[in-house]
Amino acid sequence: MDSSRVAVIFYSLGTLDLLGAFESKTTAAERESWRKWLWEQQTHGIYGTGFKPGPYMTPEGQSSESSEYDAPHLIMTYTALLSLAILRDDFSQLDRAGILAFLRACQNDDGSFSALPRGGESDLRTAYCAFVISSLLDDWSGMNVDSAITYIRSCISYEGGFGQAPFGEALGGTTYCALAALCLTPSTPSSPRESRLTPAERTRTIRWLSQNQTPSGGFRGRTNKAADACYCFWCGAALNILGAGDLVDRNALATFMSQCQFKFGGIAKAPSERADPYHTYLSLAALALLPPSDADSSWDLPKLDPLWNASEATASWARAHIPAH
Amino acid sequence: MSAIFQDDDDDSVKLYSEDPAWADVVPIPQYQGVDALAPINYTEEYQDATNYFRGIVKTGEMSPRVLQLTEHIIRMNPAHYSAWQYRYRTLLALQSPLEDELRLMDRFAIDYLKTYQVWHHRRLLLVALHSVDAAAAELRFIVRALQDDAKNYHTWSYRQWLLAHFNDEARLWAGERAWTEELLEQDVRNNSAWHHRFFVVWGSGVRKGDEDREEVRKRELGFAKDKIALAPNNPSAWNYLRGVLDHTKTPYSTLSTFVQLYTASSAPAADVFDLDNPPPSAGAELPSVNALEFLADIHEQEGQTEQAVQVCVYVVLRYTFTKHFVAQIWKSLANEHDTMRKKYWEFRIREAMQSR
Repeated sequence: MDSSRVAVIFYSLGTLDLLGAFESKTTAAERESWRKWLWEQQTHGIYGTGFKPGPYMTPEGQSSESSEYDAPHLIMTYTALLSLAILRDDFSQLDRAGILAFLRACQNDDGSFSALPRGGESDLRTAYCAFVISSLLDDWSGMNVDSAITYIRSCISYEGGFGQAPFGEALGGTTYCALAALCLTPSTPSSPRESRLTPAERTRTIRWLSQNQTPSGGFRGRTNKAADACYCFWCGAALNILGAGDLVDRNALATFMSQCQFKFGGIAKAPSERADPYHTYLSLAALALLPPSDADSSWDLPKLDPLWNASEATASWARAHIPAH
Repeated sequence: MSAIFQDDDDDSVKLYSEDPAWADVVPIPQYQGVDALAPINYTEEYQDATNYFRGIVKTGEMSPRVLQLTEHIIRMNPAHYSAWQYRYRTLLALQSPLEDELRLMDRFAIDYLKTYQVWHHRRLLLVALHSVDAAAAELRFIVRALQDDAKNYHTWSYRQWLLAHFNDEARLWAGERAWTEELLEQDVRNNSAWHHRFFVVWGSGVRKGDEDREEVRKRELGFAKDKIALAPNNPSAWNYLRGVLDHTKTPYSTLSTFVQLYTASSAPAADVFDLDNPPPSAGAELPSVNALEFLADIHEQEGQTEQAVQVCVYVVLRYTFTKHFVAQIWKSLANEHDTMRKKYWEFRIREAMQSR
């Protein structure tokens, strides 16, 4: 997990956040040291400022200066910023201008974003992270918005979902990324927000998403695949973004989630699999967004911001504390 | 260069710190700052190798032993993207034969099928090789890789990228459509194969021999209809059918005759066989909800709101029945039925009523 450590941390902290367990399960001293550790992953260099996954490529005796092989990573930057908001950081150490420069270094000519300034994967996941970061900073000068939107639209598949990249098969996770990104960006003269999905495309996407809720109650990520807890969030939240969250059979969804719960705690991708932080967090996020109607209060979870994928309290904290310019 | 760390009989760990051949490299431990969040319990072997890797990166050495070291680290942690990056640049600096690297990657790809970096590295190698021959060999390799995991997303993305990047009609594209047919004969529900077919026929330009688009449209509709006849409740085939109609702007109503064979509760008498409208296979579960949805869409496209609503109400009633009676009596049957989408159909009714 060296190369995705901050992401794993985000899913773990996010789980505590959604369970409202921060005050009871962690101490102020722990939270303080975690914030410190996360800020140590903010690194500056010729490609601007961002967060790296951890210190795994950082030589002893050196910390904040990034080298080419110890560079900031787009997905880690998104998950680090949200983790800091969960930890109620004051963001006084945030290098706004550096992060915007980093986003510009990651954007490619076709509008897509690479995970790293010089390479790495470029697909709708990295695009989504760039959009959320811009939205968190409330500053869109770190990207060419029009070309980014053109790239996102080029990933629409005939089935109604979005592939991971152009030509790709429709996939639940990247459909969420695309819809959230299109929704996060303010209108531009050449791309008013309401023009970004035609009515026919919207209908087709809703149809495909709802087709993915399987008889098990869980969602699958692709046509004819098996249900997986993480797609309950990706597809359910995508429907929610399209204003069609009420098409989900929520009680069946909750039944599936409860079957995915691992006997020693946590939630797995499917019944009788092993739990992990990623599936645990996303399952709780799905339940927070699409709670069952017939459950007792033990199922109550805080409200979720469906576009940033964080509790509303955490999202408000970020809005209030990330310094403006 | 790849064999040295693969001796399974030898359980002792090979440490660079004990190897005279590495004595000239100064190992650099990982930065230890404030108390670690989510600390990682590294093995001695991994810690030792990455200490030497940080040492190498610092001096900028690019030599054959760097290839050994990065391979060793990647085998322990295939997601170590810095090791991959450094390895790639070392290969170029040494002008190493990239074909050999690809053969090594053949084994990696199978072992670490779900790791992004394995496939990304292949892409970089293919770009550097700049050879259609190499790309054609890659297509053959992918066929083998898909035998282990027919729906692996990375593998499929890589194939689609190869085809688009090298874009060679005779050497690369020529066999693609026939190959999807083979895959769908093995598993008619393989959505990745359906998607690939759409990409080849419609999404990537006009293939040689496919210049007559009207013929292509007929052929593809016929193909999808034949596959629907085999498995009338297969959403992959219905989605493909819809995709072809949408892409070619063909009204759904042109398939009314076909669809009605699948919205009936039982198969029609098999005395007349119409090639354009193949009937459901024997024993098929009817009516097909996919067909009912298609019928509702026909009515909607034709402005026949009353009929569209009727179809939707019928499906909702069926759901209710299935859920409350069939599910209790024949649990196994309930799994065959799509019982989840009652709310979707109610939504369709609301939408249709609004447009009235």
